[in-house]
Amino acid sequence: MHPELENALIRTRRHFFKDCGVGLGRVALAGLLAEDAPAVARGGDDLLTNPMAPKPTHKPARAKRVIYMHMAGGPSQLELFDNKPKLRDLHGQAPPNAFVEGKRFAFLKPDARLLGGAREFVRHGRSGAEISDLLPHLGAIADDICLIRSMSTDVFNHGPAKMFMQSGSAQFGRPSIGAWVTYGLGSEAQDLPGFVVLQSGPRGPRGGTPLWGSGFLPTTYQGVPFLPGAQPIVNLSSPNGYNGARQREFFETVRDLNQGRLGVVGDPEIATRISAYEIAARMQTSAPELMDFGQESAATLEMYGADPRTPSFGLNCLLARRLVERGVRFVQLWHTDWDHHGGAGADLGKPLEQVCRETDRPAAALVRDLKNRGLLEDTIVIWGGEFGRTPMGEPRETTGRDHHIEAFTMWAAGGGFKAGATVGKTDELGYSVVENKVHVHDFHATLMHLLGMEHTRLTFRFQGRDYRLTDVAGEVLPFLLA
Amino acid sequence: MVKNGWMMGRTVRRVPRAVGLGLLSLSGLAGAMTAAWASSAAAPQTEPVSFEKQVRPLLLARCAACHGEKLQRNGFRADLRTALLDGGDAGAAVHPGDSAHSPLIDRVVSKDPKKRMPPSGAALTEPEVDLLRRWVDQGASGPEDRVPAIRKTVSHWSFQPIRLAQPPSVRLKTWPQNPIDSFVLAELEKRGIRPSPPADRVTLIRRLSLDLTGLPPTPEDVDAFLADRRPGANERLVDRLLSSPHYGERWARRWLDLARYADSNGFTIDSARSVWRYRDWVIGALNRDLPFDQFTIEQLAGDMLPSATPDQVIATGFHRNTQINEEGGTDKEQFRVESVVDRVNTTGATWLGLTLGCAQCHTHKYDPITQKEYYQFFAFLNNQDEPTLSFPEPEQAKQRAALAGELKAARARLAALEKDPEAGRKAWEELARRQAGWSWSVLKPREFSSAEGTSLRAMDDGSLLAAEPVPDNDDYLVVGEATGRVSALRLEALTDPSLPRSGPGFARGNFLLTEVEVSARIPGQTRSRRLELAAASADHSQTDFGVGMAVDGDPKTGWAINVEPGQGSLNTARTAIFNFKTPVDLPAGSSLEVRLIHRHVNRRYQLGRFRLSLGDVPAREAAVLLKPDAVAALKLPENRRTAAQKKLLVAEFSRTDPQRGMLAAEVARLDARDKEIEKSIPSTLVLKELPAPRETHLMIRGDFLRKGVRVYPDVPAALPALRGAPAAPTRLDLARWLVSPENPLTPRVTVNRIWQALFGTGLVETENDFGTQGTPPSHPALLDWLAATFRESGQSSNRHACGWSQKKLLRLIVTSATYRQSSQHRPELKQIDPNNRLLARQSRFRLEAEAIRDTGLAACGLLSRKVGGPSVYPPQPANLDLFSQTKKNWVPSQGEDRFRRGMYTFHWRSNPYVMFATFDAPNALAACTRRSRSNTPLGALMLANDQTFVEMAQALADKTLKEGGTDDEQRIRYAFRRALSRSPESHEAGRLLNYLKGQEAAFRNDAAGAAAVSPRDLPAGVDRATGAAWTSVARVLINLDEFITRE
Repeated sequence: MHPELENALIRTRRHFFKDCGVGLGRVALAGLLAEDAPAVARGGDDLLTNPMAPKPTHKPARAKRVIYMHMAGGPSQLELFDNKPKLRDLHGQAPPNAFVEGKRFAFLKPDARLLGGAREFVRHGRSGAEISDLLPHLGAIADDICLIRSMSTDVFNHGPAKMFMQSGSAQFGRPSIGAWVTYGLGSEAQDLPGFVVLQSGPRGPRGGTPLWGSGFLPTTYQGVPFLPGAQPIVNLSSPNGYNGARQREFFETVRDLNQGRLGVVGDPEIATRISAYEIAARMQTSAPELMDFGQESAATLEMYGADPRTPSFGLNCLLARRLVERGVRFVQLWHTDWDHHGGAGADLGKPLEQVCRETDRPAAALVRDLKNRGLLEDTIVIWGGEFGRTPMGEPRETTGRDHHIEAFTMWAAGGGFKAGATVGKTDELGYSVVENKVHVHDFHATLMHLLGMEHTRLTFRFQGRDYRLTDVAGEVLPFLLA
Repeated sequence: MVKNGWMMGRTVRRVPRAVGLGLLSLSGLAGAMTAAWASSAAAPQTEPVSFEKQVRPLLLARCAACHGEKLQRNGFRADLRTALLDGGDAGAAVHPGDSAHSPLIDRVVSKDPKKRMPPSGAALTEPEVDLLRRWVDQGASGPEDRVPAIRKTVSHWSFQPIRLAQPPSVRLKTWPQNPIDSFVLAELEKRGIRPSPPADRVTLIRRLSLDLTGLPPTPEDVDAFLADRRPGANERLVDRLLSSPHYGERWARRWLDLARYADSNGFTIDSARSVWRYRDWVIGALNRDLPFDQFTIEQLAGDMLPSATPDQVIATGFHRNTQINEEGGTDKEQFRVESVVDRVNTTGATWLGLTLGCAQCHTHKYDPITQKEYYQFFAFLNNQDEPTLSFPEPEQAKQRAALAGELKAARARLAALEKDPEAGRKAWEELARRQAGWSWSVLKPREFSSAEGTSLRAMDDGSLLAAEPVPDNDDYLVVGEATGRVSALRLEALTDPSLPRSGPGFARGNFLLTEVEVSARIPGQTRSRRLELAAASADHSQTDFGVGMAVDGDPKTGWAINVEPGQGSLNTARTAIFNFKTPVDLPAGSSLEVRLIHRHVNRRYQLGRFRLSLGDVPAREAAVLLKPDAVAALKLPENRRTAAQKKLLVAEFSRTDPQRGMLAAEVARLDARDKEIEKSIPSTLVLKELPAPRETHLMIRGDFLRKGVRVYPDVPAALPALRGAPAAPTRLDLARWLVSPENPLTPRVTVNRIWQALFGTGLVETENDFGTQGTPPSHPALLDWLAATFRESGQSSNRHACGWSQKKLLRLIVTSATYRQSSQHRPELKQIDPNNRLLARQSRFRLEAEAIRDTGLAACGLLSRKVGGPSVYPPQPANLDLFSQTKKNWVPSQGEDRFRRGMYTFHWRSNPYVMFATFDAPNALAACTRRSRSNTPLGALMLANDQTFVEMAQALADKTLKEGGTDDEQRIRYAFRRALSRSPESHEAGRLLNYLKGQEAAFRNDAAGAAAVSPRDLPAGVDRATGAAWTSVARVLINLDEFITRE
């Protein structure tokens, strides 16, 4: 490359970080650029023209990529993971005062009674993890997962709580985890987006786009929703009448004219545009291959319970594996309908059974499949809702539970999370965490740590403040680590 | 809600605790004590402690360095009793009577080095602590002095008054066009840099058009500008662009970024909202160049202006663009508080360039804003109701005013008529008698049929009787012979024992005749001729189902005959007469077709038995159809009528008097029209000040449940005070303060944002942070000169003074030599000034999302130039709403609404228009002061493959083939100029020509491809392959970097 142009391109890279943000990441920039330097020295053209080029980590990383399965609505830990015999004994009684006095709930009234769980729990694997019979497949991989029974969060309405779980802030409009991760690490997939969003269940998640938004980070880092079907990305297919060769001629003509203009005005942004068009053209050819589930064996499809013709959580899990195999950095899966307040279609009976049936097998299959392929080692798989559910029952026509923020369960596997472990403990009624509390900020800090990033160093200056995923809190929790 | 402990401030009162410290242990500790303290040490415990004499001196000595008059760390001042009680960011420091729960005591005795106060130096001695304890437990009495609001003097540049500096002198005297250039050039000359040459004139007109109106110039605009060689051509162009209605659109979109304007509520449910009147207000205000001070005041407090106009109230929509959480189980107060927080932060970012939000949870770490001051600012914006109001649009108001006048007149005429029950009676009797003599001949059904299968049978009396199968709806067709002059059709709805309740209709006797159509078949004419019906009358009509509705052409309305109590039986024969618009003379052998249409949503409302007759009645004379009894009575001389007959005639007169009928119908019509307009008046979200303000408290750690000290509206002490020191300052005072001559921030921040729009970067790079963490201005004197010039009124000595006129300011900047420079990169400056902060050239940057769309639509000639109105739904790929909770209404708009400017596209917060999201349009979740300019593969896919852009390419190809000349070179030049304004260089034209030829050849072998790609409607002699090839060329043009770039 012409030395002068190369110079200009380096500046483009700097310009990108400086100018493309709403605010100016000057401090963040200093950090990132310092770490960019070696990569620039290595002379990767991609890094210069493509903000998604892989970037070095702050420290050695245990994990390279993340699959986050968000169970939208808030699964009940008391029916699934946190067995409370005492709660059964006290079923129907008034809860201790401490449970209600001065507490705020979304729907519960002060007269709510304790609700004993009606599910059988089974011990699994060498670790003896206790998991409800609603999740038999998860039980079968109990030795691969880290069951975190001591999660806690800050907000109890779905929208804000989802934002809090996905961005560390209940405010709508902050960067999501996937945006932070791709901002910090770039992506190894150059023909696919670095941050992909998949959805299944009867509706989209409450909150929509902001849940995978890039907030004040450059929009390059926002999640890209994949639509069901063979053409997952909007405008991925060539317009009608432009078959392969004709589309290629189109791209070539655009490139030639852009290159001519670059020679005249010398703006490196044009070089970036040329590169963006090249990647776009490659995406068009690589995405159909990605979506070709015919490459999967019948056994694999069976394991995920996936039918390539029908959108499902199972198919999304399989797609998630295919995405991370191709270097995608962050995959966010949404499955809706976990909001079991009680009442028709939303109680802890059949409706809960159904959503467990839809998700249990694929989620377990994903972990098993990644493990078989040697990918689990450096891929983090996360499963959890935006909050849990109360030990008190919500008296609707049929029983359910209200949103609960003080204690709930999530699980994580792979990428340096402690396998075959049950972490944290709640009190005997499952109301509060009594041991090894994992606040959302701590979880985020630990996640970043495993990805090789210091959560306190990955910041972005916006409106006079250095923002980070973990706000002003968060600690890396060693007891979660392998 | 939590009400625990000391957070609740002085509402907690406890019995003073017993003081347990032995005095003896204190002896000999006088070393560190003040004299005042020493003198009290020996006093008995019960002796009252004096704040002034004992406590204050101690606090002054040990605390005031950080928590005193000069400095208030964490917003806390310790040297005044009231300040101790009020506390700082963490809430009250002292709870009178309760030393055990008073943080002051807790902090001075703490063993935790992070907590202990004072943080350095020796800890307080036990006697000192004991003194404080006793003072607190005795009730913390002392003077009630007000904590003075200290006007802090802050040295940071942006808080200093604006100074109007003289433009510096420069060596290159010929370059400056106005003072802006002197400031810029002086800096360049200091470094020995020459400014760039001016951009060529084509680039300049494209730059100006895009910057000022957001639309590219047409080739004709370019030619006219190039042809204008007289001096002042540039200024004339600028003035033309500034007076374009599209100027207001362009700059409104920028303002709407700050206003976080959206068409939905956000959060989880994200329902649609109607607030586009506010969006249109901004467009209008900018187009009429409403001075920025007034622009500010109306948006923040238009509702509070004396005799506020609807427009000024609509303007307050600015702060109604906050999100609304409609999720179940939310705490309303929590989200109300969040919306006020958003308003505070937005106000701070928009006018002050300050990150007020940093002081929401604690005193600002860098800027001179305490947490208490944050909530004082919050208090201005905490006193509003949030109503939804409907204001007629100007056109609607005009129509309604006119209607009101007409209605009044019609009602008066009707009332006058009704006042005199006998008026017109004689004429009516005459008319009725005459009409009773009208002769009718039955239209004998020669052919008859039903469209949906009702069985029809001809009866002896010339009527038809319908029978099962009776479908939900049906049309009856009756054809009979007719000759001579015909001017009216009579329809008799007859009863029959075979019908439900004897009829005459199938719906328990009722029917609903939605339309009657009559045509004539005349011998020698191939087509039957439709005879229009002008009027209808009936001897009875059901309320709201008048017989006129059977001839109004509206299949949703019709004639029905149900009765109200006292109107007799529904199951009665009824008659209607339909007058032809023009009488018709039917030659021998003619016949008439009558179609009786029943298509109401109500099912099985068809006629059961009916008879049709024809008559020749005086043209346009409305029929007066009386009940048979009345007709009999009418035939009697007046003196032979019985009392009952007289009464009946009076009733029939008032029912059927054509004059009254016409007037009543007129009143009803006008009334209905008015109601229709009223219903279509759009609603909008506005602010309304509460009669009594809400109590505002500091929120400890920003938590709305943890109330700290009560605060009252005020502005931060580091900034100039409110004018006139109002006793109870309001939102209106805040708005006026923002644009007061003393406030240095508003004009600086505003001109900087305008500069950013025109140069890509502001003079202050951190356009949203003028605080100490922001970057200093690159040209401080220029920034101040612009700020002063923007604000100063025409009376000042500054001849450029704008008096807050944005148009004048823009004119000044865009006619400067600095603005007009070429944007070509200069290799020699790469090291010296890599980011072009010195402005030795213009900047080159990508257009905003909406401007990309608008430029495409304008280039290909599809753009609708309609300004304002409800938001629209241009087509976008399907299924995008799978990813949000509720199904989003996105039925693609039809007609010109498909091609409106981007700013009118409906914005769903949880699911924004995908093309805009791809090109960095803000999410409207918070104020956006600057947009990203991403350059991504997804953007490339959008331009290359999206249906909208393919359609643009087709339209441009279509235009090129029709208007772009006859040979390929001419056409390439034409299309190129439409897309990029300039003419192609020869190598560019060559490359495109080459591409064109290749595409033509390829499409010639691919008929299906050519048909899909080519414009539909080709000029003579152009085949689909050529058409498709031109679409390809156009598609390349709108994908070029230059196309979406302002150079």
